[in-house]
Amino acid sequence: MNEKYYVCTGCALLCDDIEIECDGYRISGVNSACRKGVARMKGCQDPLACSISGQKADIDAAIKEAAEILTNADNPLIFGLGNSTIEAQKKAIEVARRVHAYIDDTSSFCQGPVIEAILNGQIRSCTLDEVRHQADVIIYWGADPANSHPRHLSKYSYFPRGKERQRGWEEDRTAIAIDVRHSDTAEICKDHFYQIPPQADRELIDALTSALSGKVPKVSFGMESKKILELASILKKAQFGTIFVGLGLVYSLSDMEPLIKLMDKLNEVSNFHLVPMVGQYNMRGADQPMFNETGYINRVHFDTDPTGADVTRHGPECSAVELLRSGEVDAALVIGSDPMGSLPRSIAEHLLHIPVINIDPCKTQTSRNAAVTIPCALGGVESGGSAIRMDGVQVELPVILKSDRLSDMEIFDRILEVL
Amino acid sequence: MTGAMEIYQLLPKTNCKECGRSTCMAFAAALLSRDAVVDDCPILKEEKYRDNYENLTKIVSPVGNASETGMIVHEELCTGCGNCVVACPVNVAEDPYGAGAGKTPTNDKVILRVEDGIVRISNVEDCRRFGENKILCSGCIVTCPTKAIEFI
Amino acid sequence: MGFGKFLSIPEYDITIVTHRDIFQNTALESSRFAEEYEKLSAVINIDRQDMEKFGITDNDPVVVRNNFGKIIVLAQGSGYEEPHPGVAYMLNSPWSNALVSNETGGSGVPSFKSIKAVISKAKDEPVTTFRP
Ligand code: SF4
Ligand code: SF4
Ligand code: SF4
Ligand code: SF4
Repeated sequence: MNEKYYVCTGCALLCDDIEIECDGYRISGVNSACRKGVARMKGCQDPLACSISGQKADIDAAIKEAAEILTNADNPLIFGLGNSTIEAQKKAIEVARRVHAYIDDTSSFCQGPVIEAILNGQIRSCTLDEVRHQADVIIYWGADPANSHPRHLSKYSYFPRGKERQRGWEEDRTAIAIDVRHSDTAEICKDHFYQIPPQADRELIDALTSALSGKVPKVSFGMESKKILELASILKKAQFGTIFVGLGLVYSLSDMEPLIKLMDKLNEVSNFHLVPMVGQYNMRGADQPMFNETGYINRVHFDTDPTGADVTRHGPECSAVELLRSGEVDAALVIGSDPMGSLPRSIAEHLLHIPVINIDPCKTQTSRNAAVTIPCALGGVESGGSAIRMDGVQVELPVILKSDRLSDMEIFDRILEVL
Repeated sequence: MTGAMEIYQLLPKTNCKECGRSTCMAFAAALLSRDAVVDDCPILKEEKYRDNYENLTKIVSPVGNASETGMIVHEELCTGCGNCVVACPVNVAEDPYGAGAGKTPTNDKVILRVEDGIVRISNVEDCRRFGENKILCSGCIVTCPTKAIEFI
Repeated sequence: MGFGKFLSIPEYDITIVTHRDIFQNTALESSRFAEEYEKLSAVINIDRQDMEKFGITDNDPVVVRNNFGKIIVLAQGSGYEEPHPGVAYMLNSPWSNALVSNETGGSGVPSFKSIKAVISKAKDEPVTTFRP
């Protein structure tokens, strides 16, 4: 057995008990990480090259060119950041301030609203360790951790034994899945799977809130009042309940109000917490320094007013998606994200018409058309730093392998020097 | 888990007895208990049964992969989630603060562990399904999201 | 002739629900340009009875299109016990994203999860690729 454990950056679960075997320059074995984590830590097959306008370039020239693009642009956008360390994210904010850029991270179209409600104290949250030690009722709502966060159930939420959960999952815990699809997670929850039609989450939230208030719940789809009352009574009896919110739920709500109301009601009659199923390993981290510095978690514009004084603007119009839709931005620095692959093509297309700087360990759909590409070290493997887990706990990432690629933080540092 | 009926549906259903069994259903049962192999049915080699033949070889793994307890891991299905590792009562008893608490196993006495993203079996003789006091434990079966573990 | 041929292939309305899959995610980590990722992504899972209605069988290429884009992917039965007529499933990928609406109501959040499109059997068109 190894004495030293490493951290997997395959998802925001940031599993911190990974054993690594190295044969000199390569990772040859990865123990206890899931299939996806192993693939990530072993690295991709198409590393990104350093280039300017598709031609091979050295790193100094590429950094100079990147700084120039950012300075020359009227409305540059810095976007991505979910796969960067907190240290790199702070530097990115500095760069954005310096060039008066828009800055947005992937939470903008993922878990942003939930994280914001938690940071603003509107929704009660808890840590995954508390879940392991105490939780007896666990709900996966619009989430399928068996596929998105494979070790979620085994490491924290359902199967492990904890201080107050000593007898094992069969007796100690109830796991519930609510989803539009019979997912692999739903399969594990067996009889506690509640299938709803697409976009019906809001209705079920409202019905549950009434059921918890002692009213007879009604929904327009085929779920009987009896079934909803049953669910409400499980929630009521919980000693320590946690709702894990997936994108399925986030995307079907136009605002957080119904969810906040349900959580308030649950905490009147029971004891409930909510944790966002954050995808990229440090998306929650990206929101934290921004929140500390600006009071907003994402979608910020470091603008100047007519007198030339600095003003910080915020709102959906500052989101990467709206900026690309409207064609407002005239240059973009994309780091650790692949908007050409992961955003709607109809929106991302604008990136084909403006100079793009892409920083990533691997080639992506976005790097294919980028004006400047700068390879960075793989976070959590070739470079260290800190990151924030989905539940808000900070995790330190040790370095596993040395590499001559710069870390994303060093790249921002170098850009700042040139600026 | 695969049932005899499911296997039967993929057989030619001619009851021609070429396989040495009296009916296709009997052959299905034999396949399920691994007393026969898919290749024992010559009819399945005909072109029109090609898909069925391929499906059958997929769902009925050859007995060579099975451990003494009859445990088979379908590696291609395993996600490395570790559910079975944490749920197995033997793992919990042998390593309560490692495997039992959701973490990497801390000793060599566990039956199940995940290496390179796929579950590996050792110490099978300690499995509750094995030996004199065997019981029908299903900890690793019911917790698996992809049905990657099977006992025959 | 082109128009007549176009008309002769019936099209059906469909709502696509997108989701994630660990095997496809693993393929993405290894290489988003490799065959494996394409093989797992360029697929639409359809209700068995719908497939019959659409006149398609497993691994037939189908055209899925709407106002925002058009893709050719392989059709496969969904394998769910409960029927889900009119709803099909795809994994999140450049293929599904090619069909996501650019309407956001100014919210900054596209509707990734639920996509309206029409589907028809493809004629001699290759599966859409995003490989260089
Ligand atoms: S669950 Fe996430 S963090 Fe844990 S090993 Fe898998 S990919 Fe890595
Ligand atoms: S040989 Fe094949 S077709 Fe004939 S009885 Fe046996 S299983 Fe059935
Ligand atoms: S059958 Fe029970 S004891 Fe045997 S490996 Fe599975 S969970 Fe462990
Ligand atoms: S529960 Fe199934 S998928 Fe998970 S590690 Fe065990 S065998 Fe693999």
